[in-house]
Amino acid sequence: MIVRDVICPFCACLCDDLDVHVEEGKVTAVDNACDLGSHKFLTDHRMKGPVRRTASGWQEITLEEAICETAELLMAAERPLLYGWSGTCGEAQSAGVHLAELVGGVIDATTSVCHGPSILAIQEVGHPGCTLGQVKNRANVVVYWGCNPMHAHPRHLSRYTTYADGFFVRNAFKERKVIVADVRGTDSTNVADEFIRLQPGGDYAVLGALRAIVRGKGDVVPEEVAGVSREQLFRIAEICKKARYGAFFFGMGLTQTAGKYKNVRNAIELVDELSRHTKWTLTPMRGHFNVYGFNEVCTWMTGYPYAVDFSRGMAFYNPGETTAVDILARKECDMCLVVASDPAAHFPAEAVEHFSSIPVVQLDPFPNLTTAFSRIQIPVAVSGIDAEGTAYRMDGVPLRLRKVVDRGYPEDAMILSAITRRIADGGGP
Amino acid sequence: MTRLLIKNAYVIDPLNGIRGEVMDIAVKDGWIVESVDDGAEVIDAGGCLTLPGGIDSHTHICGTKVNFGRYMMPEDMRAGRTQRRGVMHSTSGYSVPTTYGNSYRYSAMGYTSVLEGAMAPLEARHTHEEFAATPLQDTMANTLFDGNWMVMEAVRDRDVKRAAAIVAWTLAAVKGFAIKLTNPGGSECWGWGKNVKCIHETVPYFEVSPAEIIETLIRANELLRLPHSVHLHCNNLGVPGNYQCTIGSMDLAPDLNPERQSLYLTHVQFHAYGGISWKDICSKAEPVAYAVNRKPQVTIDMGQMMFGKTTTMTADGPMEFNLYRLHHNKWSNHDVELETTSGIIPVYYSKTSVVNCVMWAIGLELALLVANPWQCLLATDNPNGGPFIKYPEIIALLMSRRYREEELRTLAPEALSRITLPSLDRELDWHDIAVMTRAGQARALGIRSIGKGHLAPGAEADIAIYPIRVDETDPSRQYRDVIRAFQKTSWTIKRGRPVARDGEILVEGTNKTVWVKPKVPDQYDMGKDPEFARNFDRYYTVRMSNYPVQELYLQRSLCMESEAQL
Amino acid sequence: MRVILSARPRKNPFIPVEAEGIVPARFLQPAEGIMVAVGNRIRPLTDVFEVTIEGIATDAAGVEVVLRGDTSRVKRVGEYMEAGKIRVEGDIGMHCGNFMSGGEIEILGSADGWLGREMRGGRILCHGNASHYCGSGYRGEKHGMRGGYLEVKGDAGDFTAEYLAGGEVIIHGNCGDMPGVEMKAGTLTIMGSCSRPCGNMTGGTCTILGTVAGMLPTFRKAGTAMREAGGILLTRFEGDVANRGKGTLFIRDW
Repeated sequence: MIVRDVICPFCACLCDDLDVHVEEGKVTAVDNACDLGSHKFLTDHRMKGPVRRTASGWQEITLEEAICETAELLMAAERPLLYGWSGTCGEAQSAGVHLAELVGGVIDATTSVCHGPSILAIQEVGHPGCTLGQVKNRANVVVYWGCNPMHAHPRHLSRYTTYADGFFVRNAFKERKVIVADVRGTDSTNVADEFIRLQPGGDYAVLGALRAIVRGKGDVVPEEVAGVSREQLFRIAEICKKARYGAFFFGMGLTQTAGKYKNVRNAIELVDELSRHTKWTLTPMRGHFNVYGFNEVCTWMTGYPYAVDFSRGMAFYNPGETTAVDILARKECDMCLVVASDPAAHFPAEAVEHFSSIPVVQLDPFPNLTTAFSRIQIPVAVSGIDAEGTAYRMDGVPLRLRKVVDRGYPEDAMILSAITRRIADGGGP
Repeated sequence: MTRLLIKNAYVIDPLNGIRGEVMDIAVKDGWIVESVDDGAEVIDAGGCLTLPGGIDSHTHICGTKVNFGRYMMPEDMRAGRTQRRGVMHSTSGYSVPTTYGNSYRYSAMGYTSVLEGAMAPLEARHTHEEFAATPLQDTMANTLFDGNWMVMEAVRDRDVKRAAAIVAWTLAAVKGFAIKLTNPGGSECWGWGKNVKCIHETVPYFEVSPAEIIETLIRANELLRLPHSVHLHCNNLGVPGNYQCTIGSMDLAPDLNPERQSLYLTHVQFHAYGGISWKDICSKAEPVAYAVNRKPQVTIDMGQMMFGKTTTMTADGPMEFNLYRLHHNKWSNHDVELETTSGIIPVYYSKTSVVNCVMWAIGLELALLVANPWQCLLATDNPNGGPFIKYPEIIALLMSRRYREEELRTLAPEALSRITLPSLDRELDWHDIAVMTRAGQARALGIRSIGKGHLAPGAEADIAIYPIRVDETDPSRQYRDVIRAFQKTSWTIKRGRPVARDGEILVEGTNKTVWVKPKVPDQYDMGKDPEFARNFDRYYTVRMSNYPVQELYLQRSLCMESEAQL
Repeated sequence: MRVILSARPRKNPFIPVEAEGIVPARFLQPAEGIMVAVGNRIRPLTDVFEVTIEGIATDAAGVEVVLRGDTSRVKRVGEYMEAGKIRVEGDIGMHCGNFMSGGEIEILGSADGWLGREMRGGRILCHGNASHYCGSGYRGEKHGMRGGYLEVKGDAGDFTAEYLAGGEVIIHGNCGDMPGVEMKAGTLTIMGSCSRPCGNMTGGTCTILGTVAGMLPTFRKAGTAMREAGGILLTRFEGDVANRGKGTLFIRDW
């Protein structure tokens, strides 16, 4: 059997044209997906059932026991952290926010180590954005700044930009000019018409210089900015000003280098400046397939997109204070619930160390690095493979993930709701 | 099997001709009935003003751009936080509250149904997710077609039926309620950073004009026999001198429907400006209102501006960009492929600004100069003109000349010569207000037939009891009591169940979403049309099979079907 | 009146305490009613601090609050303070002096993030170091600190005086990255060194007496000036040109 138009639950391209071959309840092949997506559908070494760590090793427990114990741990905690969320569907994220509110904890998502700075910048200057089809159909200049889509978003260029023909751009490969900015050569810079090679940490200065040039104040710009020649800066500014429609994409090169959100802010202000001359839009290259979904859900429920602290009974937001890495590194949290993420694999050592001092419960289908720190792990269904649910693409378009097989695993949303009910019915924390 | 008896209610029920009578209201299983037995729970309204639940016919509370407005404004969020309490979740937000914030605050004011002002079909799923988290109001969604490529092609080909067929398929697919046009034609231009300046200007490539889009869709709307009419946000919003465009747009509307208007123009305050620049902007509420008075086929809502901080958010992308250039404030934009656009920017409306004072006066002038309250409904285009929590102040301004005079004294003096408000004596009465805040909306939206907006047996038991004795109150003098009363009901009853009591929310709530499904003959079924499908294959970045919104997204679903006359 | 709050030892000293109730004016009423938040639990102030009150006062200006012991995780002390004095003998937690409009705060140790956030008036003196976002604003607001006087004898972290809109900030030591970013008015003085100051500046004055690393390319040189104190020659810059800026930057060395 072939299930058509399946939505890939890997990256935030959220390609929705996958054909998934299913034989006898297992996925046997995937068409149209990139390697990353195929891999997710085809590899399978899931845990069998919930486990608890004991002095003598892992012990198999029932789902009911796992839920009860997790509820108790959350209730006892004075500063519980509920982290992860990007790898599951909106229904689970929503349940997670309710749970965090009930237990007076902090809820945060992978955003805080990824595109959090993009959101901080948007909160200062706004987001001049669009859906990806606008880029596909209209853009004749595309900029990739500080990202390597050929590796991280493999089908981005063929679905939305460089190679994607559109209504007003009938021969994309010829008509579209691609500018890539990075600190070193990559597979993405190799397909660029213009490669801006800048020094690490120089993004803010280069973007500021481009802004000045677009504003007509290019005389202030010196001979070279962060390794980029004045001549190239002027040439790039000219290409951008003369674009019929320009689309700016960016990644960790801006969000995770010195200045972080200020780099992104500068990019947004450059796009704003260009918008006075012609049409430009900007889109962050969100990583996980549903990290933006968490930001959306958390926002409509709490008012803030991530890093929400409910310890005072209402939402308080302050990245740097209410973000997971900070809370862990400062040893503030006394219990952590991890859902759909693997923080032990990604967080700085100082933060990961604290996991060994507190009870950690993880909802995840696979053993991973966080398992090494977990007291309880509950394997769950994978959204988009054996669970349905809502996910938001990097541009905000919401799609419903399909369930192509049934593996008998419980879903995140159900478990989180059960934990919530148990706490609420038990008289609350 | 819940039964409720409201005793001693001072009822004003315009749709049933009741202009102030003390009576009992019997409720059974969520509906108003003739009588209930003695076992019913009793609420004594104490002779207080009792109205059908409030209906907001144009408010921005759910969806992509609203959520953009939220997360880009953490400073707005922290300005309106409330604690988790009982069944109430914590809330945040002043001008763009969270979904629970919106729902609780509307409920405290007695509102039980709302029409979301703008939903892009491609992102409808998002709107419905937020509807589910706005649990105390029944919801409907205005669905944007102003920049829709398929529709524009049908308009260009003068194929009304095809335009209707596209609308029918889309509304049913995304569970929308009505046709919304925001700056028609302008959205597509904004895809290139441009706009239209006049309803007869043509859109590049598609070669259609806003006038043609409006006219075609008005006719399509009636062919589809949709409950609501076309809902129009005119071109040139906010531009000095735009009143002529507004009247020109009204002139496009034929009278095609005996039950209600054929064209609903929204937030007309923003579209009633004279002058040619910000320096000489003046009110043209008079000619606009007189045009409305001459056209029974038109209904408008005020779009009242109220002073203070708020957030503008509309599907009028180019207008929002111009506001950005004016104020240099943070600005967000979101263009939706093949469909529409949107923009968001925070603003501060100030009494020291002559322009803002003129704007404030215009909304009130419209309401006072339009003779028939059924044709001019109360709204602020929340939050664009101001947050909906200011509706009670607007009610008081309309009912009290004295209050208006007090406010006029605090305005920038230079504004006074540009407006007619000082010379307007009219004071609206309770019945007028009941029309403008619920009965008129029910009629305009075509939802009386599903039991909304009235209190006779057969109506849905959405009832608001306001803590004010009409017989003991002179609204002209006691306008502060009027404000206080409309801010917080003694009781808000939704589907026969008390949901709010003196501002405290009593239940979690599960709302109903009302949507439409016009039934079309096979040859007009876009689901089977290869040309229509080709747009998904080629130009959309979403597959056609992934586009429709599954019914499971609606907490409870009410589909209004109609037989399209194609 | 002198109110001495001695922090009791805690089983878990890392759980943050939110103590926005610790403002001088509050102690004109009995201290028994003051609550603090320890993580997600609300507790009486006396659970967390031993409270000793000496003397009386008729108004807030006559109240001095002294914090003793490990107060490095106590947040929001002095929030919305209008008068009186707070003296912290050790380190202080985040958001000390939030929204302060009058009175004085003196910190003998170091301060955690967001010291003097959104201050409107009053004086803060920190003898040790200040962490990130010293004298700054809140996410999304167009204005940060609007008035008052904030002095740090040690170093400050990143984003010092972000969105400065009035008042005076003086850092004796070094600053981290991007001090004075988005500033629009007010005065920022850094005696030591820093990197990439005053990005996107639109107004106000910033003086840096140490060395600037990563000087931004969008500032226009506009002559020199002699700083009276110490007779130091400074170069004057105007900008940020990328942002229609009319701010002034005085730098000794870059």
